[in-house]
Amino acid sequence: GGGGGGSGSREAVERLVREHPVVVFMKGSPAQPLCGFSNAVVQILRLHGVEDYRAHDVLQDPDLRQGIKNYSNWPTIPQVYLNGEFVGGCDILLQMHQNGDLVEELKKLGIRSALLDAEKDQDKK
Amino acid sequence: RSFASQTDGEARVSRVLREKFPRASAIKVVDISGGCGAMYEIHIESEEFREKRTVQQHQMVNQALSEEIKSMHGLRIFTSTPK
Repeated sequence: GGGGGGSGSREAVERLVREHPVVVFMKGSPAQPLCGFSNAVVQILRLHGVEDYRAHDVLQDPDLRQGIKNYSNWPTIPQVYLNGEFVGGCDILLQMHQNGDLVEELKKLGIRSALLDAEKDQDKK
Repeated sequence: RSFASQTDGEARVSRVLREKFPRASAIKVVDISGGCGAMYEIHIESEEFREKRTVQQHQMVNQALSEEIKSMHGLRIFTSTPK
């Protein structure tokens, strides 16, 4: 289809994904996710101590909801962008969390995962 | 879980995946919406995924199911390569 509304245009989405190292397109908000998969993304980020990120509620903006799917050529929400690059949805973020990749990706953004400090505390025992 | 209880949706999605991934060694499609066809969980193991990042592997599945996905509420994808 065409570019749709302004907020769903390629240029508008490009601006959003670049406005912060960690950008999430989800249903609901981090304080109140409205979908289990969006909630999973919020909880995983919280586990790593990432609370400062940009979250966009696609339920509030149908043009953005379609625009973000066009932009990433990915049919579902949530969508996670690290440093402006599409990383994947909830399943991929969960996999990255479980195999340690998320800690590494956050480190590249200059973000120290809270889990590293949790491990340090355990080592002291 | 017996094959006889596979839903029409599961069978259709499986068939599309078998066509689009001829080298797949394992394909499992499960309707996780209670048989409503609204949400599926897809497990697919194929040599075609080797050397590709997970998000690229998932994109291949998305492209293969682009028609079917239009009528789905959501899907979960788990890809792997043969050992």
